[in-house]
Amino acid sequence: MDRNKLVYPFTAIVRQEDMKKALILNIINPKLNGVLIRGEKGTAKSTAVRALADIMPEREEIMGCVFSCDPNDDSFWCEDCKNKEGKDININHRKMRIINLPVSATEDRVVGTLDIEQAIKKGEKRFEPGILAEANRNILYVDEVNLLDDHVVDVLLDAAAMGVNSIEREGISYVHPSRFVLIGTMNPEEGDLRPQLIDRFGLVVEVFGEKDIDARVEVIKRRLKFEKDPEAFIQEYEDSQNELLNKIENAKDILGKVTYSENCLRLAAEIAIAMGVDGHRADITFMKTAVTHAAYRGDTQVNKEDLFVAAKLALPHRMRRKPFEEGVIDFDKIDELIEEAVL
Amino acid sequence: MFNNCFPFSAILGQDKVKKALILNLVNPNIGGVLISGEKGTGKSTIVRGLSNISKSKDVIELPLNITEDRLIGSIDLKKAIVYGEKGFEKGILYRANNQILYIDEVNLLSEHIVNILLEVMSREVNVVEREGISYSHPTKFILIGSMNPEEGILRPQLLDKFGLYVEVKGVTNIENRMEIIKRRMDYENNPREFSLRWKEENNRIEEKIDSAKKIIQDIKIDNGNLSFAVSLAEEGNCAGHRGEIVLIETSKAIAALNQRKFITKKDIEEAASFALPHRLKEAMILETEAEPLDDSKIEDRKNDISSDDKSNETNSMNSNQEIQLEREGDLENEEMKESIEDIVGTNKPLSINIEFKDKVSNEGSGKRSKVKTNTHKGRYIKYRFPKEKVKDIAFDATLRASASKQKNRDKNGLAICIKEEDLREKVREKQTGATILFAVDASGSMGARRRMGAVKGAVLSLLNDAYQKRDNIGIVVFRKDKAEVMLNITRSVDLAEKCLRNLPTGGKTPLAAGLYISYQILKTDKIKNPDSLQYLVVVSDGKANVPLKTNNPLQDAFELGEKIRNEGIKTMVIDTEDNYIEYGFAKDLAEKMDSDYIKITQISKTDVETSVKSLLNIN
Repeated sequence: MDRNKLVYPFTAIVRQEDMKKALILNIINPKLNGVLIRGEKGTAKSTAVRALADIMPEREEIMGCVFSCDPNDDSFWCEDCKNKEGKDININHRKMRIINLPVSATEDRVVGTLDIEQAIKKGEKRFEPGILAEANRNILYVDEVNLLDDHVVDVLLDAAAMGVNSIEREGISYVHPSRFVLIGTMNPEEGDLRPQLIDRFGLVVEVFGEKDIDARVEVIKRRLKFEKDPEAFIQEYEDSQNELLNKIENAKDILGKVTYSENCLRLAAEIAIAMGVDGHRADITFMKTAVTHAAYRGDTQVNKEDLFVAAKLALPHRMRRKPFEEGVIDFDKIDELIEEAVL
Repeated sequence: MFNNCFPFSAILGQDKVKKALILNLVNPNIGGVLISGEKGTGKSTIVRGLSNISKSKDVIELPLNITEDRLIGSIDLKKAIVYGEKGFEKGILYRANNQILYIDEVNLLSEHIVNILLEVMSREVNVVEREGISYSHPTKFILIGSMNPEEGILRPQLLDKFGLYVEVKGVTNIENRMEIIKRRMDYENNPREFSLRWKEENNRIEEKIDSAKKIIQDIKIDNGNLSFAVSLAEEGNCAGHRGEIVLIETSKAIAALNQRKFITKKDIEEAASFALPHRLKEAMILETEAEPLDDSKIEDRKNDISSDDKSNETNSMNSNQEIQLEREGDLENEEMKESIEDIVGTNKPLSINIEFKDKVSNEGSGKRSKVKTNTHKGRYIKYRFPKEKVKDIAFDATLRASASKQKNRDKNGLAICIKEEDLREKVREKQTGATILFAVDASGSMGARRRMGAVKGAVLSLLNDAYQKRDNIGIVVFRKDKAEVMLNITRSVDLAEKCLRNLPTGGKTPLAAGLYISYQILKTDKIKNPDSLQYLVVVSDGKANVPLKTNNPLQDAFELGEKIRNEGIKTMVIDTEDNYIEYGFAKDLAEKMDSDYIKITQISKTDVETSVKSLLNIN
């Protein structure tokens, strides 16, 4: 195994169940619109995201296409693939990748820019793809998302929402597909994201350092073990990793077949109104999360467990509050509503 | 392009928005729509869906980060380099002619781009004189904007350009909410099939629009219509004449949609509910309750738009940095007691309005100040001829500059020869807010919880402002025998509020210590963020009784005050002294620091709800 690719296994992460679940659900259903992980330093945020690489299923890509276009869905092909019209299309089997967006990223590298070399050498205006191009059909990981320049975050979220990156700048006019799972991490002590931006993240998870002594000890033990002999450690967890991978692949298969009762919808609407949310993203994401979780369980019918999980992951950040009003989440009330509902 | 449109007719609720858009399709002379509302209400979705019901007009989107050259157009690089010809490369304004131009988050659009838009819209022509080319073309479009007012106010000049204004909210009816969720999930599951399902309804709407378009030519406006329209606009005290013009055009469209060739009073009233809300001025609103306009919330908004007007007019050339406070007149102690109690009980903010005027040359202050930075951070908005050695090359502009001169240059095997005279550098724009440090006196002399409550209220309203302007906040508290940093400088207004909430009080007043720590913090901040403004707000009654250096506590404080002033840090003193016995120490301090000064008793209790809304919704 390539030494550089030795990543700490996802299933070896101690606890942090909510965070792990939020990430898994997004791999199963990228339409959940990503995860924002908020928490103090040293809580396995980046570790977890990097560990995802190993449990992502393989899929088909058009070889040589910078946007990793899906050979099976031509409605979303980039210009180049469209122009090829099905000829000369070779297929690659690859896993979803994690594309990193550093905090110091400037706009031109994010959205893409004019290919200077082409312009000077050949007098041609060519588009030089940026990170949003690479991110298509992959995971875009932004560490410390609250430290990014506002306008870069704007661009990211816009692309994430529309699935398209449309550039009109620096001499370039170009549009290309940009559908990705956006995962952001942040430390709230450093300042918060605007509510508008938080709302665009599908799920939000808060992580805390482990308070339980035994768990803390386990965290250290495992980390030391991994660093001493990574290959052996990874071997140890191979089974559980494969098990998780299978679960994810099965979930993806049945995702389209999951059904929910009318009362589930009603419950979603009631909770949203009780919480006084802004707009409709809360209920929509709530339902989508519940459906995805059902698939994860291997079930084709949404049940109460799915609803509880969905409430925890999709709702907390959507309470209607002014930028710094005390937003009191009455989780008991929500749990009650779910408990009492007849599905 | 990628067929990503949620079908227009599948959007449930939001009928007012839909109507406003449809009216514009029927009559493009109305002047577009501004859609304002909280997040997640389908604003952008509806507009993007317009292409479903208007085959003759495309929706051209103007991205927030557009650069000038792509907006107005530029020299055709390829033509120049490869063929040696001067040609015009069309920008968005060209494409938008006779189409719909849509700007999402229009209140976040860069100052510079807004200026260009305003000019082009008045003239209805885009005149390009740059990079060696000269070109002009007509550009008339239906302007549609959407925004979330929480994020900031729209410049009044731009606001006025929008014909109609509609507010959107989430739907509260449960059944409808359920249906909204269902439709969205169905769409995401199978977009093609879903779109097909709604095709017929889309077509129906389009047909309605088409037949209305035919009738509208024949509509006759009589004098009665005109005078009624004018009277409505007058009652609304609308500035200029655009109000009544839009009213008439909108009424025409309404009548046409109803298959009528004449306009009724009801049509005009309905039109007013779209065309007037964003044009009303403060004076009249209170009297015209019977008006069939949107509710008083919007009226209050206008208060703030007109007051912001002032700041927009006078902001660019100021010789001093001024902080303007809106004083609401003096109050009796009676009223004051009442208001403080209220505040203590509910911690609601007072209405302090601080406007920063920056002496650094900048172009207006949508946020506190848009500083042209020299670092490589910030959005590239346009280019300029380099002043000294070029550090931040604008490649595209440089290429374009050299493009037209290729004929007479030796290219050395490359396609283009670039000379030093062609170099252009980027002008970047970064939103810098201020760093506002609060030095709060939490000593026993600050009196009862009441006064602390008032303090918290005052600071909270400043925080409101700070949130939108993306300021950094810090809080230093001094009491007993020392000063401590309760909150390190942070962008998190949230944390600041939490910190204030839990402020302990009691003990002596180490004012000098408080000032000393503040001085150090701000000095460091200035080094870290050379582009931002440092600002100190001292909240105290000035009754210093704990010395720092000498034996005289007050003297120590004054000395530090002078140091702070000499450092160039702007300050404000909020004097919390009781009106009964006036020592005036805080006032003296303010003088030493050359601060702005205000007594806490002068801050009146205004309608708290209004001030909260006004501070957050439009400001």
